[in-house]
Amino acid sequence: MQTRHILKALTYVALISVGFVMLIPFLWMVLGSFKTAREVMKFPPTFIPEDPTLANYKEVFSRLSFGRYYLNTIITSVIPTIITVMTASMAGFGFAKYRFAGRGVIFWLILATMMIPYPVTIVPLYTMAYRAGLVNTYTGLIIVNLSSAFGIFMMRQFCLTIPNDLLDAARIDGSSEFGIFYRIIMPLTKPALATLTIFTFTGNWNSYMWPLLVVNTDRLRTLSLAIPLFNGQYSSFPNLVYAASAMAILPVVMLFIFNQRYFTEGITMSGLKE
Amino acid sequence: MWYRFQRKIAPYVFILPGVLFYLMVTFIPAAIGIGLSFTNWSIITPKFDWVGLRNYERLLTDTLFQTSLSNTFRYALWLIPGVVICSLLLALLLNTKVRGITFFRTVYYLPMVTPIAVASVIWMWIYDRRTGILNYIVRLLGMPPRNWLNNPDTALGSLVVMGIWLSVGSNMIIYLAALQGISRSYYEAADIDGAGYWQRFRYITLPLLRPTTLFVIITTTMGALRAFSQMNIMTQGGPLDSTTTIVFYIFKTAFTDLRMGYAAAVSVVLFAITLVITFVDWKFLGKGVSYDAD
Repeated sequence: MQTRHILKALTYVALISVGFVMLIPFLWMVLGSFKTAREVMKFPPTFIPEDPTLANYKEVFSRLSFGRYYLNTIITSVIPTIITVMTASMAGFGFAKYRFAGRGVIFWLILATMMIPYPVTIVPLYTMAYRAGLVNTYTGLIIVNLSSAFGIFMMRQFCLTIPNDLLDAARIDGSSEFGIFYRIIMPLTKPALATLTIFTFTGNWNSYMWPLLVVNTDRLRTLSLAIPLFNGQYSSFPNLVYAASAMAILPVVMLFIFNQRYFTEGITMSGLKE
Repeated sequence: MWYRFQRKIAPYVFILPGVLFYLMVTFIPAAIGIGLSFTNWSIITPKFDWVGLRNYERLLTDTLFQTSLSNTFRYALWLIPGVVICSLLLALLLNTKVRGITFFRTVYYLPMVTPIAVASVIWMWIYDRRTGILNYIVRLLGMPPRNWLNNPDTALGSLVVMGIWLSVGSNMIIYLAALQGISRSYYEAADIDGAGYWQRFRYITLPLLRPTTLFVIITTTMGALRAFSQMNIMTQGGPLDSTTTIVFYIFKTAFTDLRMGYAAAVSVVLFAITLVITFVDWKFLGKGVSYDAD
């Protein structure tokens, strides 16, 4: 009994210390964002701000078009997310609930294409965007994120669990195929749709490589492009960099904290294929 | 009539947008990329010549390409055991019916939802020579401070540590789900046989987690092979090319040197490597263990 208690205590100690290590970068950033320019460069460093201030947050907005970057990030995250959730759930439903010529081949092609690492396609993809005149446009930023193999796959798995009788009953009642999708499949797959929405949104919000290639004007910059640039320009003002970073992270962190269940489900789904 | 027609056509209408948008950014560029790799195209002029296998021949003597390959492999070879061990240990700890499992899961997963560009910037400050918290801790321990990201000996290792921090959370969740899926009856049987904790772990847990470990290894390898953002933001591939990974090299060749054809050839090689590694992982680690009767 004694050893059991000790073991339990040790488990907590281990979990909490690892948790602390994981949180250090966030704590460092948040605490630093409230420090003055002088305090943040001090050595040895202080942890709790001696003279906490909100001035850094205000200053970020006056020194760079932060609002613009926010807006760009929101546009290039929200629009592709809505479209991806639509296209992936429709495709997942199509693959799960219909038999049609070419189904096996097309589905196999999608699974096989998942093997191609994203950076492998980046050179030709940029070439295509360049030829199509999509460099430095919102369309260029958005167009690569309008569908998702993970999403198609996940929605297919979910749709497979819905009984065919339900769809047939709707058909007898005179529903069109799209009506079935809209009135039966969509409501029944809500948890999967939520998971897909959150995953897609986070992915879009955080994307870096493609925006880096396709955007080179300040007008179209997203947060992921702006923060490293800002860091380069204001390398003697980490307090400002921390404040900007904290604001860039906040939306996804909030989304995650309030929707954890869906995150966990999504990861587990990706781990339990077949 | 209309009814039958719409049933026939409906599946195609449903799958078309999703499939097209997906293949447009994967399959089609991949095919174009293979074609490009046989040309000397630079993006400045619309003209190009077919050069056959010359790009691939040149790779054989390209020392920076070879350095980038070896950097990528070194990065992967440190990252994979780090991620597997850390995430498995955390999952085992969390699986002991502790309280606050949701809280710990949140904390461990947090890095995964952080934009990589922002995480890179914060880690640069952690590794900072003068004001970084790492050097502060190092000094407390009585060791000499280092210029972590500007030293060829420590730069890649610093990126590995950050890589483990990034991906431990999601893999831990995958392990946790797998652990919770192991039937209690195996452990009960082992208890009757008098097996200790280590034996239960060695002969039940570990073998049954094998498919999960395979999955974690494959996804971590994929992640390591495509690592780019940290290298671009934190080290620019340096110092002395010590963090030039293969994707960073592709990026540099294509968009700084504007040698699109050559970059496409490197991409094709990266793809081939991915295929080979996945196949080898599958072959040697993929033999799943099942103690079920079927």
